[in-house]
Amino acid sequence: MATLELVDLAKRFSKKVWGVKKMDLEVNEKEFIVLLGPSGCGKTTTMRMIAGLEEVTRGTIQLDGKDITDIPPRDRGISMVFQNYAIWPHMTVFENIAFSLKLKRMPGNEIKQRVQETADMVKIGDLLKRLPGQLSGGQQQRVALARALAVKPKLFLMDEPLSNLDAKLRVIMRTELKAIHQQTEATSIFVTHDQSEAMSMADRIVIMKDGEIVQIGSPDDVYFRSANMFVAGFIGTPPANFFITQCTINNSKISLKYSDFTLELSSEEFEELKEYNNKNLVLAVRPEDFLLVPKDKALFTNKILVVEPQGSHQVVAFNVNDTIVKMIVPAETKVKPGDIIGLNFNLKRLHFFNSETENRIPLKSEFLNDAN
Amino acid sequence: MSDYETYSEWPKPLVPSFKASFIIDKDIEGYHLSIFNKSENDFMPFGPLSFQDNENDIDKLQEFIKRQSNCKISTRKIIDYLRVVDNKSMVQFSLNKDLLANYILFFQVVNGAPKAVLNSLMVALTTIAISLTIGGMGGYAFARYFFKGKSILKLSVLFVRMFPAVSLAIPMVIILARMGLYDQPLGLSLVYSVGQISLSIWITASVFMSIPVSLEEAAMIFGTSKVGAFWHVTLPLALPGLAACAMYSFIGSWNEVISAVVLTQFNPTFPVVVYKALVGSQGQINLITAGSAAQALPAIIFTLIIRKYIIQMWGGVKV
Repeated sequence: MATLELVDLAKRFSKKVWGVKKMDLEVNEKEFIVLLGPSGCGKTTTMRMIAGLEEVTRGTIQLDGKDITDIPPRDRGISMVFQNYAIWPHMTVFENIAFSLKLKRMPGNEIKQRVQETADMVKIGDLLKRLPGQLSGGQQQRVALARALAVKPKLFLMDEPLSNLDAKLRVIMRTELKAIHQQTEATSIFVTHDQSEAMSMADRIVIMKDGEIVQIGSPDDVYFRSANMFVAGFIGTPPANFFITQCTINNSKISLKYSDFTLELSSEEFEELKEYNNKNLVLAVRPEDFLLVPKDKALFTNKILVVEPQGSHQVVAFNVNDTIVKMIVPAETKVKPGDIIGLNFNLKRLHFFNSETENRIPLKSEFLNDAN
Repeated sequence: MSDYETYSEWPKPLVPSFKASFIIDKDIEGYHLSIFNKSENDFMPFGPLSFQDNENDIDKLQEFIKRQSNCKISTRKIIDYLRVVDNKSMVQFSLNKDLLANYILFFQVVNGAPKAVLNSLMVALTTIAISLTIGGMGGYAFARYFFKGKSILKLSVLFVRMFPAVSLAIPMVIILARMGLYDQPLGLSLVYSVGQISLSIWITASVFMSIPVSLEEAAMIFGTSKVGAFWHVTLPLALPGLAACAMYSFIGSWNEVISAVVLTQFNPTFPVVVYKALVGSQGQINLITAGSAAQALPAIIFTLIIRKYIIQMWGGVKV
């Protein structure tokens, strides 16, 4: 249980290559923070700097108000789960978990008790005498987890811990990790490139790109109020669809013109868009915000290209102006490739971005969405 | 192979025999001993033309049998056989050869052989110690750190192995003599280390490279310093590979003759002694082979012990 503060943190690998350009972040007590971003965005470098495995080029790291920027990893009061588990193959499971406790000269019976406790928590209580080579990937993952939990760290770091597991196990471990976090209440930082993992586990998500923070916010924030086009296009399966439209305003109507459709909006509800008269405006629509409507009431019609059943829902892809657009329809809707469908948008859930800065244009009506 | 077989049989048998057959018979001059000769396929006279049934003759005969055919027989047994001959006019018997006789003889006969083995061991162990410490550290650096000119440096450490020992013999003698290490095991092991260090660097580098850095990082997070991480995690995992590397150094210095011939005089190493024995005793093939086998044996045993780990030398550490 601790607070972590990163102030102006940066890491330069060589003259021109920056791992992390600038990072300011405050992590509250008991919080579960997820660093999310595509590969090479600096999220792992950030975590390694917090762990002390990477030297800091600029800035400071403070844990509980104490500057830990330059102290060795073992004195930081942190623990870490590695992507490849990094459990020591020449030690038994027990020795792996007890390693740090032994180095702290904890009495033998206390060590035994603590190891058993943590091993039970991650359900490997009966594997303590095995060597890591005799364990499956999922069990090795649990050993790494137990080893990190046993030290009762102030700060718990996880570097893509689930990415080496198979898809099914990953979902199970995700739930268990969250349950463990609720039980231990340790301040946690979790690095991943899997946005669904991030959405399902995080208290707050830190989205990074090219060594900089793009957005910090709750899963709802980043999904419903994505800060820019990058976030909107990164979060969500499938991600948001973008339409670069021509905005014109006449009378009380704002009309957004695209090759296949012209969307008319009332200027009262969307008055923030008024300043984009005769400019390009990016309209973003999440896949579930398309509405299937009868053709005569539709904003536009299109031919279905592909249908991808997902069990709980179906993903329908069609072609608009030579780009693939994906929407989600309920499982019971009968659609097949080649069908002509009528489409409309859920007007309350539209996102708008400035086409030059790619930043979000915040709307008043967003606050109404919170109520839903 | 016994002395008798060495001198009297041709062609030499491909597979050595473990037994020799004898006949003792009797005429007016006394008893006669014959031995079976495989190339003649017949019994041939062996030892004195004739001997009598007295203590002196029988002792001499026993010694002769031991020396020439590597077979041991007690005087008691010889007297027993003579009694049988008295009754039946002849007796045939066969004796087991003493398999270690040649080896024992080699170390007894060849000047300074036991001391040479000690010298060789000392040289080999010092070489291992030097090459593994320096080479191991070098290998770790090559495996873990990035620096300018790394690949060129790594390649260039092999240059010292480029020159044949003979071409460097005279400078080596002069330098070692100036250092006061000529004709000393330490001097020799220094010379061997030069070549072995570069090989050790390559072997240990690949051993260390096969151990993921994250294992060390995990150790550092869970309470050790950088040195401690090496001690607790990397070293135990690298140990088999390092042992295999030590084996290479051992065999390299244990077998080396050319430098050793040049750089030693009164304190030769074992291969030098075997080599000199080979040159000096042209007929004694049984002793030379015994010496050579004794020379090969430690290397073979060492390799057998370590064979499981040889594969790890080239980066097969299981994690």
